Amino acid sequence: MKIVVCLKQVPDMESKFKIIDEKKIDESQIAFKINDFDNYAVEAALQLKEKLGGEVVIVSAGPARAQKDVRQAFAMGADWGIQIDDPAVEAGDNYVIAEALQKAIASIGDVELVLTGVQAEDDQASVTGVMMAHLMDAPHVTNVVKLEVNGKDLTVNRELAGGKNEVINLSIPAVLAIQSGINEPRYPTLPGIMKAKKKRLDVKKAADFGASAAAKTEFIKMFIPVSEHKAEIIQGDPKTAAATLVNKLKNEAKVL
Amino acid sequence: MAKILIIAEHFDGKVEDSTLELCKAAKSLASALGAEPAAAVFSKDGAVANEVAKYIPAVFSVEDANLEKYSADGYTAAAKAVVESQDVKGVLIAHSYYGVDFAAKLALALDCGIVSNCNKVAVEGGAPVFTRNTYNGKIQENKKVKTDKFVATFEKGAFDMEAAGGAGAVTKVAATIGAVRTTVKEIVETMAGAVDISQAKVIVAGGRGLKDGDKYKDVIIPLAKKVGGEYAASRPVVDSGWTEAARQVGQSGKSVTPDLYIAAGISGAIQHVAGMKGSKCIVAINKDPEAPIFNIATYGIVGDLFEVIPAMMENL
Ligand SMILES: Cc1cc2nc3c(=O)[nH]c(=O)nc-3n(C[C@H](O)[C@H](O)[C@H](O)COP(=O)(O)OP(=O)(O)OC[C@H]3O[C@@H](n4cnc5c(N)ncnc54)[C@H](O)[C@@H]3O)c2cc1C
Repeated sequence: MKIVVCLKQVPDMESKFKIIDEKKIDESQIAFKINDFDNYAVEAALQLKEKLGGEVVIVSAGPARAQKDVRQAFAMGADWGIQIDDPAVEAGDNYVIAEALQKAIASIGDVELVLTGVQAEDDQASVTGVMMAHLMDAPHVTNVVKLEVNGKDLTVNRELAGGKNEVINLSIPAVLAIQSGINEPRYPTLPGIMKAKKKRLDVKKAADFGASAAAKTEFIKMFIPVSEHKAEIIQGDPKTAAATLVNKLKNEAKVL
Repeated sequence: MAKILIIAEHFDGKVEDSTLELCKAAKSLASALGAEPAAAVFSKDGAVANEVAKYIPAVFSVEDANLEKYSADGYTAAAKAVVESQDVKGVLIAHSYYGVDFAAKLALALDCGIVSNCNKVAVEGGAPVFTRNTYNGKIQENKKVKTDKFVATFEKGAFDMEAAGGAGAVTKVAATIGAVRTTVKEIVETMAGAVDISQAKVIVAGGRGLKDGDKYKDVIIPLAKKVGGEYAASRPVVDSGWTEAARQVGQSGKSVTPDLYIAAGISGAIQHVAGMKGSKCIVAINKDPEAPIFNIATYGIVGDLFEVIPAMMENL
């Protein structure tokens, strides 16, 4: 089975975020990593390849720094990849990115399954996979927590609220947005990391695939939210703070 | 008159709370834009359309055997038919499991921009400006669409629920639904577990900050025992198998409202907060002073949970 995983590099959300001119985050203090949900998509693809044969191709839109995490997926076992390193795509919206990814995937040929994470941790939009499916004229399912392949037929579980799952049938080619917990993503092995360095990574511009979509939305500004409510922060070293907290829970809030 | 159209969501014949929130949103947005609020309801026989009409003045009902269950293909085709037969300016959809599954598809089918996962909308210069969370809620952004129409999805809780009032007019809309390429075979329960944490008066919840399953067991469970409560977890803890699924709190887990909820090593992602924000007293223990959990906590300690929790144990 020929599988593409769309992978995004995102900031580690524990980083210290600073905004420059209301327009972008100051990357100098940010550590980057694979979008957590995409990690599960990579693992799901690798498990299918181990069962059915075929190949796993990583397609990622992002600047040069994103190569580190594409190679991380290579180290887990993905075969090769395409990186769309294009300022015009970076400056676009989810639609521009979805079109560029979809055209890049079309250039590979005969792709049977496209996997993404359910959302990117940074923009939290959950739209790119669904848009790609629409552009490919393929069916899709989001929030997939179980996946089985039987020839051209897929049986997947879609997570619903309150611990329910819908069991859904569809056929390939298809796009699935993978939810965390579907598997246990493997860690790259040392030989895997060595091999990853030599794997093929094509660095391309959107135009190389004939992608040229214009954004349908406009970013206005970003800001650090001011919460109306803030916790009462208990000061002091851990021992003092813990003692004060317990005292407050007993005598002020009266919940212990 | 132009319309602001919500797509109603219903499950087992019951209208979802998020739909009532959207009714509220549609009313205020429509009045700011000089438009009318309306709802689209998709079903097999239209029964639920009358229910939605208690909350909004105009309901457009698409009825088709292929709409008995939710599908992205069915909902997109039906919504497109309503938008194209009415003068619809914008479509509001819940950022729910079904909403995220078809909203972006509908936006492309209508050739318009989508702003997803919003928590606010305001009208500036005659156009809607959306506010949404990014970076796990640490940053928010404002966006608008460049197209004539728009699609937007909203987080649960972004608006209050509309109360049932009059009886709106229900109008049938004809639509060709076409092929539905995803078939729902059945619905299964995955979280049937022995424990029911939703009854506990005190809950101690641990998150990814616990680092591994052994530390989760060594730190969270003893504290829960000491305060006579239940232990619980954020999703990554369950995903990693450190504890069972029935102890997960949040959008895809349990909703809890104990007197005391202690969140240790939990960042406060919106999907987690959705399941515990109704707790009476919330304690956050996190080493990141900017973690969003502090925005909903009653008391907070900025520090290493591996130092703070043992010190708490000594004082209990
Ligand atoms: C559709 C959908 C449904 C979801 N449903 C749920 C759900 O039901 N429940 C849920 O929880 N999540 C859910 N999620 C996942 C959610 O988006 C977050 O990924 C998740 O809540 C993060 O869990 P966390 O806070 O434990 O981990 P993280 O966000 O990684 O936070 C870990 C925190 O620990 C802190 N920390 C680290 N080390 C220490 C230390 N030594 N001392 C103190 N603090 C420390 C860090 O500062 C950080 O804030 C869902 C996501 C999606 C897309």
